Amino acid sequence: MTGATRATSPGPERIEGHAKVTGTARYAFEHPVADPLYLHPLRATIARGRVTSVDTTAAERVDGVRLVLTHHNAEALVPIGDPELAVLQSDEIAFRGQLIGAVVAETQESAAHAADLVEIRYERMAHDSDFRDDADIVYTPDADASPMLSPDLEEGDVDAALADAAFTVDATYTTPTEHHNPLEPHAVIAAWDDDGLTLHDSNQGSHLVRDLIAPLFGVDKERVSVISPHVGGAFGSKGMPHGHVALTALAARHTAGRPVKYALSRTQMFELVGYRPPTRQRVRLGADREGRLVATEHDSLEQTSRFKQYAEQSASASREMYTSPNRRVTNRLAALDVPAPTWMRAPGEAGGMYALESAMDELAVSAGIDPVELRLRNEPEVAPVSGLPFSSRNLPACLREGAERFGWHERDPRPGVRREGDWLVGTGVAASSFPSLFFPGSLATIRHESGGKYRVEIGAVDIGTGSRTALTQLAAEALEVPVEAVELWLGSTEQPHASLAGGSAGTASWGSTVVEAVRAFRTEHGHDPVSGAETTAGAGKNPDAGEYAMHSYGAQFAEVRVNADTGEVRVPRMLGVFAAGRIVNPRTARSQFLGGMTMGISMALHEHSVVDERFGHVVNHDLAGYHIAGNADVGSVEVDWIDEHDPHVNPVGVKGIGEIGIVGTAAAIGNAAHHATGVRVRDLPLTPEKFLR
Amino acid sequence: MDFLRPAGWSEALEAKANHPDATPIAGGTDVMVELNFDHRRPETLLDLTRIEQLREWSRTERNGVPTVRIGAAVPYARLIEELGTTLPGLAMAARTVGSPQIRNRGTLGGNLASASPAGDGHPPLLASNAEIELESVRGSRTLPLADFFTGVKRTDMAPDELIAAVHVPEGTGPQQFSKIGTRNAMVIAVCTFAVALHPRRRGVGTGLGSAAPTPRSATEAEEFLAGALAEDGQWDDPRPLPASVTERFGELVARAAAPIDDVRGTAGYRTHALHVLARRTLSWAWDEYRSGTELSGRQRCA
Repeated sequence: MTGATRATSPGPERIEGHAKVTGTARYAFEHPVADPLYLHPLRATIARGRVTSVDTTAAERVDGVRLVLTHHNAEALVPIGDPELAVLQSDEIAFRGQLIGAVVAETQESAAHAADLVEIRYERMAHDSDFRDDADIVYTPDADASPMLSPDLEEGDVDAALADAAFTVDATYTTPTEHHNPLEPHAVIAAWDDDGLTLHDSNQGSHLVRDLIAPLFGVDKERVSVISPHVGGAFGSKGMPHGHVALTALAARHTAGRPVKYALSRTQMFELVGYRPPTRQRVRLGADREGRLVATEHDSLEQTSRFKQYAEQSASASREMYTSPNRRVTNRLAALDVPAPTWMRAPGEAGGMYALESAMDELAVSAGIDPVELRLRNEPEVAPVSGLPFSSRNLPACLREGAERFGWHERDPRPGVRREGDWLVGTGVAASSFPSLFFPGSLATIRHESGGKYRVEIGAVDIGTGSRTALTQLAAEALEVPVEAVELWLGSTEQPHASLAGGSAGTASWGSTVVEAVRAFRTEHGHDPVSGAETTAGAGKNPDAGEYAMHSYGAQFAEVRVNADTGEVRVPRMLGVFAAGRIVNPRTARSQFLGGMTMGISMALHEHSVVDERFGHVVNHDLAGYHIAGNADVGSVEVDWIDEHDPHVNPVGVKGIGEIGIVGTAAAIGNAAHHATGVRVRDLPLTPEKFLR
Repeated sequence: MDFLRPAGWSEALEAKANHPDATPIAGGTDVMVELNFDHRRPETLLDLTRIEQLREWSRTERNGVPTVRIGAAVPYARLIEELGTTLPGLAMAARTVGSPQIRNRGTLGGNLASASPAGDGHPPLLASNAEIELESVRGSRTLPLADFFTGVKRTDMAPDELIAAVHVPEGTGPQQFSKIGTRNAMVIAVCTFAVALHPRRRGVGTGLGSAAPTPRSATEAEEFLAGALAEDGQWDDPRPLPASVTERFGELVARAAAPIDDVRGTAGYRTHALHVLARRTLSWAWDEYRSGTELSGRQRCA
């Protein structure tokens, strides 16, 4: 059983829900186009080197083949600084599976068959895809180069404080490579005509795709249309366009206007759409006799690609979480000959909070303090590093409410002492946190059609979260009309510019935009507008931005059973209580939290891409080998939230809910597994053999 | 690629004789995966789905023993629904195969022909001393399942042979099956174990999966347990098994394994887990025997 038990109105149903479950909602690949061709990629079978020769003769003889595209005949693209998009621009190979060509044919089958007949020869160079802490490959990312990176943090004297601390923890945690597997694999249809390029593309931001693809082909943005009405999950993997979009658009240059379709296979996704990089994190905590932190140190090492830097910042989870007079936080990268990692649901926070919240549990055990109480004792008054006041921070309320609901107070803290039959039983807790982001620059058009019906347009994308429904609600509320009176259009560059669906910032950014656009509409047209009255406007700058620390919080509780004989791990029960500002639609919000927690169970128990360093590829590159939690792995998951009114965070008061559900889940499960068994496993996933010692 | 669709069994045997390299396909749950991943590219596919008799099962007698003859194309779902009480060990194993869709499509004959060391159907068939019936235009032969598996994904089948059926003696005592995977369903086994008590002939059967290059029985463990039960008069007057007996049984089962390290688990873990599964399934089976339940169709979760 899964569910939110709070007695509030459930919120409107997902507007496109009926269309989705009855199969009429069109995803990118399903868009009907006349006379399409199909693309099958050529991919490098070595991990590093260059292509020395390509023989396409046999492939070109296959019935129905219209084009074999390689770096020899691909047109030059404009360098825009993204190596992933610069496909077929040279003979160099930087990772195994890299796109090095394409076959375009009348059917998918003939394209795949012909692709297999292309003979490619390589000059092979030594590669390195072994993630490890080694001076040869480790470096400090340049924090000045990107606003998304934070420099090393050093406050006070961590070593001295640790030396004097009453209780200390010094532990190293590892998380594995995890791969994106949204329900809908990445897909694109590209067609060039006299007006320019049209892309039906599964993405998290049609405008962003246009903003990158147009300059890549050296055409004006107005000549590129990107359409993405429905997306079957993305989780960060569709945030930036990957090489397949550029490749398909390149191929479509040669087809005299015929559209070219390409849907990635699961196996191709393991090489082409990014992944959560593996991490190795050392956490040192020191506390006084009362359990108050005197020192916090978090050093993280994460994998990146020599081909394209991606800098995850897992240790940064420890910057603003708990009070601590002495603090050191560092993030390092290890560059390898591997595909580029990318954002994956709560990038940084998911892995970083696993380490911090596991270490907090270890501290609670060594100090003999209840883990809920330990967190309450380290609750900061203001954001510890920036010194800013919190716009709102209800972690204590989440912990207390969750503890009450979960029955935490009857817990016997001793590990490894509860046994039911063959099963050792334990419970664990962890805190969650995720920044409340706002992406500027979105615009919305409000138009009064007639008779009190409004049309709202914003070029945002609903990646399956319920954005279409939430934005319709917010527009209706601002317009003071029923939800049925608003028709919302999104997903396409035909609508006004909107920011990326990422960073859990969609409803905050686009919702504020829609509400501000309605205000501008009312100012311009009043409350009795004529038919056709229209206003396009965006949200202004939030005066509180930079004045407050803005985060959502949560507390996650887990019951775990570990088989005493075999080490099999089960999670029969979880509860998550969150504080995330205004919840616009309880029905779709619940689904977001629940999905995040379920993905967290999957991260805790199953997900693990096994890399064969000899060849630089992922061995278990399909859903038979790469395990994601199934129904039988997920027991009762309950979700609830604290009513939170935050006047500072943005005009609609929402904090973002797409990612926080996965933050802390794995730590709560690992902590519960320790409570059950007395065995502390510090390496995800928590597989059976790790509990047998 | 040629795609042959024989309408009947003799036509299928003819086709196989004429195209010995043809890959038979029934449910397609293994073959289609291999085709999709380009692990195999047969010149000829031999579709067996039109052959009605392969989808039938019947009760027969072999050497005076009531036996179920299961056509090679009977899917797992029907083993569960229709043979749950007659062949409980096999039905339990069938319940752990894949998802409902896979259990609807996947067939027992396909499981055997693939001869994966991890095939879920193999251990209970070994524990029941099942035999496999192979046929070609040259004639028919039946051999013990233990002799059928010759290596990793290799069998004793001649190029012109097809699997006609499996003959499984009906259970006369409790049967159990247990599987460990790295998630709770839809999983390839880390290891599996099946045990069957055969009170009428005072014997014990075992089967190990994902524990060696081929599915195999733990013969020493079988002989030890049968001997211990006979010696103590346990068959006629069942009492709780001494811990020393279950422990020794577990040891001998683990000793019969020759596992490897792979992405699903280590050899060390597999050996340990088989020891556990052997003791666990034996105690379930023995409890059932003691409580007088002659047959059990209950599934026990690992």
